[in-house]
Amino acid sequence: MSVGSEPLPDPALSRASAIARAARARQRADDRLETTITDFFLTADARLEERTRLMLAHVLRGIIGAIEADIRRHAARVLAGLGETTRAEAILTQGGALLRLTRSGVLRDRDLMKDLIARVRHDLIADALPAAIAGPEEPSLLIRLTGVSDTTVATAAGALLAAESRRRAANESGMIAGSDVPADLHRRLVWWVAAAVRDGLDDALKDAGEMVAMQGRGQSDQAITEAALRSLAAHDDAERPEAVAIRLAAAIDARRDELPALLVEALGDRRLTLFVAVLAHAIGIDAEQVRVIVLDPDGEQLWLALRAADLDRETIARIGLALADADPRRDIESFADALDSIASVAVDDARAAIAPLAMHREFRAALRALAGADRR
Amino acid sequence: MTGYTTGDTAVALAEVAGDGVLLSADPILLALNSRAGGVIGAPIAVPQLAMIARLARRLGIAVSRSVVIADDDVDLDLWVRAQPEGDTVGLAVSGWRELQPWRPAAPNPGAGVDFLSSGADWRWETDAALRLTFVSPDAGPRMGVDPLALLGKPLTSLVMLDSGDDGALPILDAVARRQPLDAQPARLRGSGRAIMLSAVVRRDAERAFAGFIGSGQLIDDPADVPPPFAKPRPAGADQLSPTFTAGLDRALRTPLARIVANADSIHAQTDGLVQPDYADYAADIANAGRHLLALVDDLVDLQAVERPDFALLLETIDMADIARRAAGLLAVRAGNANVTITRPAADARVVAHGDFRRVLQILVNLIGNAVRYSQSGGAVLVTAHAGSDQVTVVVADTGKGVAPADHARIFEKFERVDASEPGGNGLGLYIARRLARAMGGDLTIDSAIGEGARFVLSLPTQAARGQDQYQA
Repeated sequence: MSVGSEPLPDPALSRASAIARAARARQRADDRLETTITDFFLTADARLEERTRLMLAHVLRGIIGAIEADIRRHAARVLAGLGETTRAEAILTQGGALLRLTRSGVLRDRDLMKDLIARVRHDLIADALPAAIAGPEEPSLLIRLTGVSDTTVATAAGALLAAESRRRAANESGMIAGSDVPADLHRRLVWWVAAAVRDGLDDALKDAGEMVAMQGRGQSDQAITEAALRSLAAHDDAERPEAVAIRLAAAIDARRDELPALLVEALGDRRLTLFVAVLAHAIGIDAEQVRVIVLDPDGEQLWLALRAADLDRETIARIGLALADADPRRDIESFADALDSIASVAVDDARAAIAPLAMHREFRAALRALAGADRR
Repeated sequence: MTGYTTGDTAVALAEVAGDGVLLSADPILLALNSRAGGVIGAPIAVPQLAMIARLARRLGIAVSRSVVIADDDVDLDLWVRAQPEGDTVGLAVSGWRELQPWRPAAPNPGAGVDFLSSGADWRWETDAALRLTFVSPDAGPRMGVDPLALLGKPLTSLVMLDSGDDGALPILDAVARRQPLDAQPARLRGSGRAIMLSAVVRRDAERAFAGFIGSGQLIDDPADVPPPFAKPRPAGADQLSPTFTAGLDRALRTPLARIVANADSIHAQTDGLVQPDYADYAADIANAGRHLLALVDDLVDLQAVERPDFALLLETIDMADIARRAAGLLAVRAGNANVTITRPAADARVVAHGDFRRVLQILVNLIGNAVRYSQSGGAVLVTAHAGSDQVTVVVADTGKGVAPADHARIFEKFERVDASEPGGNGLGLYIARRLARAMGGDLTIDSAIGEGARFVLSLPTQAARGQDQYQA
């Protein structure tokens, strides 16, 4: 609050400020134009459909919001314990980590967005899969598996039912657990959010004066760090549906002659996670990688993977039809055209063709980075 | 469109050669194909059927699809299954329902989820064996159960099902007929709390029952049964207060009119290009909005005619003139449906005592129904006759008629001549008869299945009315 009359603005400063403002406005206009041009030239098949875009925003908001709330709450407790009540209160009340992270551009992280886009597409496709019953009044696949005598299979099947139920309820309510991403991505997100919380706290305290902003900063940094470490320690990758499905697929360990029916039934039970895990287990490729090829509407790699699992023409046709029914991006006509040639690929040739997918994820990433560096 | 039955029971079969040539077909399918310009021995002329048969042959597996086929000026909602059999493909086509862009009471599983979740205490899903495959977490705190522990268990491990008013279990009927579960009373195991279950049916590619997508609502007072989602119940309508209806009218009419107008302009793309599928959604929205507007009109009328102080503006009216006007108002709709309306001669004059606006309303309703239930190429005949103490207007159609057993029912609230037909909310005939009786006349039906329907509106003549008043 000022006392007395406002000092007259220095004309030179005022001009400099106007020039700077105009420059910023020009920059913003340029940025917007750039984004608009990029948007216009996006190819239709790379563009996010409206539902996917909305759900992606919903999931991202949910995950970051949950991590942020955890960090704020715990950091506030720690600060209150240290007697830093002003900071504790400020850290609880200010918000906006998502906005800060979006503006900074860190969320454009390729790994993070790849995982979230795949997750959203996966959930949308799984939801749209046509149901196929095993027989009248017969329990669905996953429920039958919960009742088998092999307790490893039964326990894993029960865990998958629960994990998918939790994921679905979270998707619908927007109350998504912050830890519902793979561990390495969770680690990145937690530190980004921690940084955004610190940034926001600084901004909030700046209003109270430069001194207040600086005093006690060490304590709040310590509190935020403690809260972040606590979030990281609480992360349990094993509870995610993807991880549970992998355990179940390993426990089932389908024989070659059981595989076709299991894959077709998993789709008929609308359990896309299980389909991905069973296929991954059968061909010895990382499930995350299999999810990518299952979701790819082009399908080329998936058909090769199915042949690598020695699936016959009819099984491949059933899988292709179910996926096309659930995903409007797929072209069933071109799949039907290609089906004979897909079925004629020798199993060994198919295995050789998908072998690069079996490489370690980070090895592949390194190779990709190297190839990119070579091009430059 | 003779020969279409409603429901899923009628299945028409056909055999298609590897090159897409139609080898044989049941009559109804043959007729559909011939109206599209095809014959036995030539490729199937209905593009959607040809496409499904071709896809099944190339994939070498059965392909099932729901398709909408334009047949003359109606759209048919068909379920088509193509099964490759050696060198040929067998087609099985069921459904045979005429479709309008929007139906009032046929939620699909996807839409049902949103509808069911409104006001629900918890949501649940089962597989074909009625084992729980999903239980929303809010079931936990509200009902004192562990939702995750219930997964995989039979629905009946959570609730005990009670029989409905008619002594039957609604859930069994829903499974057997693959129809939405309307209101299944139940009690929670353990606490014994009353709960009402509703659900839509998930079907598999063969149209078999594949499970329920449902919701549950806890009922604090067992008498406080929530209205089922599929259709309003007459009991609810009896409780409409004048204030409620007036409020409904005010609250809904303006926003609905705006929704309809905007959806229409999106559909017509007057404000600029939109993706074709979004333009089609907009047409659905506009149609649904129009349906709701009509329902609001009817509810306002319903409330009015049921009030003890319901007043009419009785005067000398020319029934032939009003019949001509009503027919004129429906000329466009009749033209679209390829139905001819024959109206009383321009110089005919049949004088009665009644309320001009209300008689017009009754006749528009009767002629509108007649057009709706007429086949393409059919005719609706509107005639006016003068008697000594009453005059009558007869609206006769050549549609499928109404069975005598249904003659009383169709004049009840929320009942319809044919519930499977799209459009209408089951209030029109009820209101029309109430209006006719309030004017000292009546509305009756004279019809049999297959012979068309004759609705007779009778009103007293001026002389008869005067005598009644004198005697009173």
